[in-house]
Amino acid sequence: MSEFTPTESTLSDLLRRDPRAEWIARNRLHPLHSSVVSAGQGEVRGPSGLLRKNPHVIGFIGPNGIKRIDRANLSAAGLNGKKRAGEAKETQLPLHIVDNPDGYIMVVADMIGGRLTGHDKDILGLAHQLVGENKAAGKGSIAVVLVCFGESKETQFDLAGVDRLLHITGQEFEGFAPEARLSALMQVEAQYKPVNWLFPDSIHGGTDLACRLASRLGERPATQAWQVTASNTVSRGASGSRDISRETPRILMLMEECANAIEDTRHQVLDLAFDADAVETGDDYRLIDQGQIEVDSNAVPLAEAEFILSAGNGIHNWDQFHAVAAALRATEGASRVAVDDGFMPRSRQVGASGTWVTARVYLAVGISGAIQHMQGIGQCDKVVAINTDAGCDMVKRADLAVIEDSEAILDALLKLAQEHYLSKEQEKSDAA
Amino acid sequence: MILDWLPPTLIGVLLVLAGIGAIRRMNLWRAGQAEKVDFLAGLFAMPKRYLHDLHHVVERDKYMSRTHVATGGGFVLAMVLVVFVHLFGVKNEILAWALLAALVLMFCGALFVYKRRMNPPSRLSKGPWMRLPKSLLTFSITFFVLTLPAAGILPEGTGGWILTLVLSVLILMSLSEMLFGMTWGGPMKHAFAGALHLAFHRRPERFGGGRSTGLKPAALGEASHGVAKPTDFKWNQLLGFDACVQCGRCEAVCPAFAAGQPLNPKKLIQDMVVGFAGGTDKKYAGSAYPGVEVGNAKGAPDQIITNGLISSDTLWSCTTCRACVEECPMMIEHVDAIVDMRRFLTLEKGETPNKGAQVLENIIATDNPNGYSPASRTHWAADQNLNLMKDVKQADVLFWVSDGAFDMRSQRILRAFVKLMKAANIDVAILGDEELDSGDVARRLGDDAAFQSLAKRNLATLSKYSFKTIVTTDPHAFHCLKNEYGDFGSDALKGVEVLHHTTFLNRLVKEERLQLDTFKGGKVTYHDPCYLGRYNGEYEAPRELLASLGIDVAEMERSGYRSRCCGGGGGAPITDIPGERRIADMRMEDVVSTGAEMVAVGCQQCTAMLEGVVEPRPVVKDIAEILVSQLAEEVNS
Amino acid sequence: MPPKVNVVSLVSVGRHPQSGRSRRAEQDGRAVELGLKLSKKSLTVVHAGDSQEPVLRQYAGMGLDSLTVLPQAADGDALPVLVEFLKNSKAQVVLTGVRAESGESSGMLPYLLAEQLGWPLVPRVAEILTIKEGAAEVLLALPRGQRRSVIVSLPFIATVDNAAAEARQTAFGPGLRADLKVLNVESVTDDAMATWQISAAKPRPKRLKVVKAKTAADRMKAATAKPVGGGGKVMKNETAAEKAQAIFDLLLEEKVVR
Repeated sequence: MSEFTPTESTLSDLLRRDPRAEWIARNRLHPLHSSVVSAGQGEVRGPSGLLRKNPHVIGFIGPNGIKRIDRANLSAAGLNGKKRAGEAKETQLPLHIVDNPDGYIMVVADMIGGRLTGHDKDILGLAHQLVGENKAAGKGSIAVVLVCFGESKETQFDLAGVDRLLHITGQEFEGFAPEARLSALMQVEAQYKPVNWLFPDSIHGGTDLACRLASRLGERPATQAWQVTASNTVSRGASGSRDISRETPRILMLMEECANAIEDTRHQVLDLAFDADAVETGDDYRLIDQGQIEVDSNAVPLAEAEFILSAGNGIHNWDQFHAVAAALRATEGASRVAVDDGFMPRSRQVGASGTWVTARVYLAVGISGAIQHMQGIGQCDKVVAINTDAGCDMVKRADLAVIEDSEAILDALLKLAQEHYLSKEQEKSDAA
Repeated sequence: MILDWLPPTLIGVLLVLAGIGAIRRMNLWRAGQAEKVDFLAGLFAMPKRYLHDLHHVVERDKYMSRTHVATGGGFVLAMVLVVFVHLFGVKNEILAWALLAALVLMFCGALFVYKRRMNPPSRLSKGPWMRLPKSLLTFSITFFVLTLPAAGILPEGTGGWILTLVLSVLILMSLSEMLFGMTWGGPMKHAFAGALHLAFHRRPERFGGGRSTGLKPAALGEASHGVAKPTDFKWNQLLGFDACVQCGRCEAVCPAFAAGQPLNPKKLIQDMVVGFAGGTDKKYAGSAYPGVEVGNAKGAPDQIITNGLISSDTLWSCTTCRACVEECPMMIEHVDAIVDMRRFLTLEKGETPNKGAQVLENIIATDNPNGYSPASRTHWAADQNLNLMKDVKQADVLFWVSDGAFDMRSQRILRAFVKLMKAANIDVAILGDEELDSGDVARRLGDDAAFQSLAKRNLATLSKYSFKTIVTTDPHAFHCLKNEYGDFGSDALKGVEVLHHTTFLNRLVKEERLQLDTFKGGKVTYHDPCYLGRYNGEYEAPRELLASLGIDVAEMERSGYRSRCCGGGGGAPITDIPGERRIADMRMEDVVSTGAEMVAVGCQQCTAMLEGVVEPRPVVKDIAEILVSQLAEEVNS
Repeated sequence: MPPKVNVVSLVSVGRHPQSGRSRRAEQDGRAVELGLKLSKKSLTVVHAGDSQEPVLRQYAGMGLDSLTVLPQAADGDALPVLVEFLKNSKAQVVLTGVRAESGESSGMLPYLLAEQLGWPLVPRVAEILTIKEGAAEVLLALPRGQRRSVIVSLPFIATVDNAAAEARQTAFGPGLRADLKVLNVESVTDDAMATWQISAAKPRPKRLKVVKAKTAADRMKAATAKPVGGGGKVMKNETAAEKAQAIFDLLLEEKVVR
């Protein structure tokens, strides 16, 4: 763990003068003069092998901005010694230390893919705001505890504001195991009696777990909370159309951007004692997780799809288009014209009169980009266009545009995708 | 003569059989729902309706109108005289000569019918219709020969019993078609049902040059809504279906049929007949619904129509453009029937296809089809400095903005129109956020509950303010305000003139309140919006406006009352039934074939549909936009 | 699916995000839809609240013959009456939305019900695949269209995610004619709620990208730097293979191709 220990690197950051080298550099008659002066520069040889002077390192810029010849050799490399190496490096942030806390705030993170999400970090930030308020109110020091389940790949807990870490591992908590996780949280509750339970109000399991805990404890939580102080909470109600202001409850489900994430401090990330094996997982037979199932990329609803390969008027070889979509594991979309012409079903139409999509990557092939279509892809992160017309709106919108006939590009993409997945499979079978 | 009694007996028997058939047929119609009809007035008006209104439509095809006059007129006259001369045996040479003349007339007509049937266009039904000219010819020849003795040209008894026998067989053949077939479901049914249909038409206002295009309000809160079974139609609607002559003119003009969507108005009406008469469509001998095989449809008076008789896709393919109604010589109301059946699907089954459900939900929850915030309705006018009715309470002109307010393309039209009104110093105000969707889309999608709710709330808002004129740039809202809001017992629109912006602008130009420069662009054509043209008869104002800019409109082949729909009406873009082509693409081909560089439009929906066609294509502009670019700069003097 | 599963779908009054008007709640509608799919005959749809609420007709319009209402005042607590109702019903599966669109929308109700009834709860269900031998196989909705399969023993409570099948269209006629069974229950006031201050939602401040620069030069750089984006890279003259490689590299970098 990254506790504060002075290291070599911090020492070498200090600027050190070498008075003897400075003296030799000033004295052009000193036998070591030339070697000291050229120490930092090394020999520079031209293409013909002749020793050359580098005019750029001679002299220095005077205070009025004019370059001056440095007859005293004051700016010689040796003089400055080493440049401050630390400049490029991160400055060490101050460490926030909580010893013997009087209470705990539990933050149960989503940890998608084993890493803290932006949402999780916001909530850790909020937890520290609450800690600060409690301290100001003289309620003693409180530690922010991150509770997480399953595998963790996160390496920067310290920078996210985790004072204590409660990492609950075990086969029974893997995958979809809300009841086992709830049992674990109940044990945490019994053991630590946290001041607050904070959850991300998210579709990644945060809301589900929070609701289970709240109903088990019989406490009324605040959901969709977005403005929280130690005393008062404002949360959204009636599908986001109302603000409900109330006393801050113990269990909170928080919206994204409810507070700023921690940026200026490091934290201890001490492990908190917890015996995962002692958790009474009890009657977990009621819910049996059978794991995530393979979803055909083309069966994913267009509005939810992450990667869409979309076809327009510029597609002539439809078999090829479908093949590329399958090879790239992309969800198929289409422009209105392609649908009207009967090449694609109406349910595949992207745009104002079709589906509004939210894909991270939208690959538009042969779509010039009618205004209705552009409206429909407004929420896409990255747009890639393949089109023969460099002046069309889609090319203007695209982050990467390729001016070429679609058939040639799709052909090349098909090959690339097939090679890619083939090599992947190869690796897998090699590993097995 | 031994067999002299035979021909009159045959005639009499067939007349009786025809009478029985007529009663049977009438009973089929009577299975429909009650509808108040002025029977006497209708019957008295019938000949005039036939000669004037129906003939006016038939007249669009000169060949057919003359043929029909000769054949039909000849037959009716001949049949009456046959009854006198041959059935009652009135001995009068003048009558006999008149009969001969009528038969000659009919013969000539029948020859032309025959000629047309030699190589019939695809829109005509075949099957029993192919034998009709032969029956007509047989009838005229047979009775001609039979009448010769009565006219004194041939002596009585010529040819002996053999001729009488031969003639009797021919009489049996021809009268089976002409009398028996008339009431027992043959091709001649159209004459019998058609005559009564003209007399008891559900929209008598249409005769004598009138116009009746607004849908009838659905009764809400009953055990069922809309038309589920054939017997849920009004009885005179059933009668109307029976009047169909299967001429296929509707099929020829139907945009959905041309686009390969599963709709054919002629087949639809025939399926309705199959429905209330019971049976299958095996005998149908015309074009099918595109992509649907003929012969599998079964129907019965009390069977749900969409369970086996027709597919709901057929109903949702209609753009309610009214081209079929406009073109139908029998004045059958296809669109009424389609919307009636849609009402059942939406209000009872909750089966509005594709985006329909969402659009209706939006209309109910936000008063606009796309679910925008009702508070953002006036955002487009933030810089327009328009009066709100809420503030001024009264104005000369109320500008009904309609849902184009939410659409960036339509907002350009709105701004152009506002600029024109300002240039003409019109005292104008808008309702702002108080305005709601007119309900057009909800109503055409069959949700009359949502439509009526919107209509009533809009009327309540309108009744708070005083104004002389309502102007709107949206022909759909125009139609609702002008023709459909009247059914809800409000005085809000009493004495108020509802105008489309082209009509209104045309007046301003005529009154010289707008100074316009001559248009110097390229060739321009004009697309008639269905809800402005066929629904409201406004064909001239847009053309006059363009002419006032010095534009000589390059007319499309289908223009005026024959204009082809853009595909945007009746909620068709929402229900989105697949076809082989897009209607908008076909319409754009019409535009391109005139060589025009620009197509002028008077409807934001048409603008949106036509602009949805892939470029390169002619520019699409609303007439207000064209006018505004030619607005003469005011010279400060 | 076995014919006899007693399903109860709990519905609440929704709120349209744009107009703020009452409507059929998005997720509750899906809960009814899922219930209809499981067993149309043995589905009970329950609302705790005002029996005169017109939105109930919108739920009923999904093809329900009847709808059970446990009358509660506007400030009432739905929990006790629902617990009582469910205890006395033979419900095996209880479906609700994840969060209501009106009131507190805390999403706690299903959890509290599960706790008080002692039933397991599965959150954010996308689909119920099978129910047999006293257990159900359900698919949970994970972000980005991913799914997790879970087996849960009956009886259980499930909250229905937006990824579940969309609620069918509501039809005016059946909705109008459906029977509202108003039960006679005590109205329980939610006391805690009375102490709250409820106001219209204030817009949340957008988080600014604050650059914590150590030096003046860094701050200057941060303040004057061009915003990221605004015209991306355009490749014109490279070979097709190079262009494709560039695209593929971006896909790898964004981790959409793994």
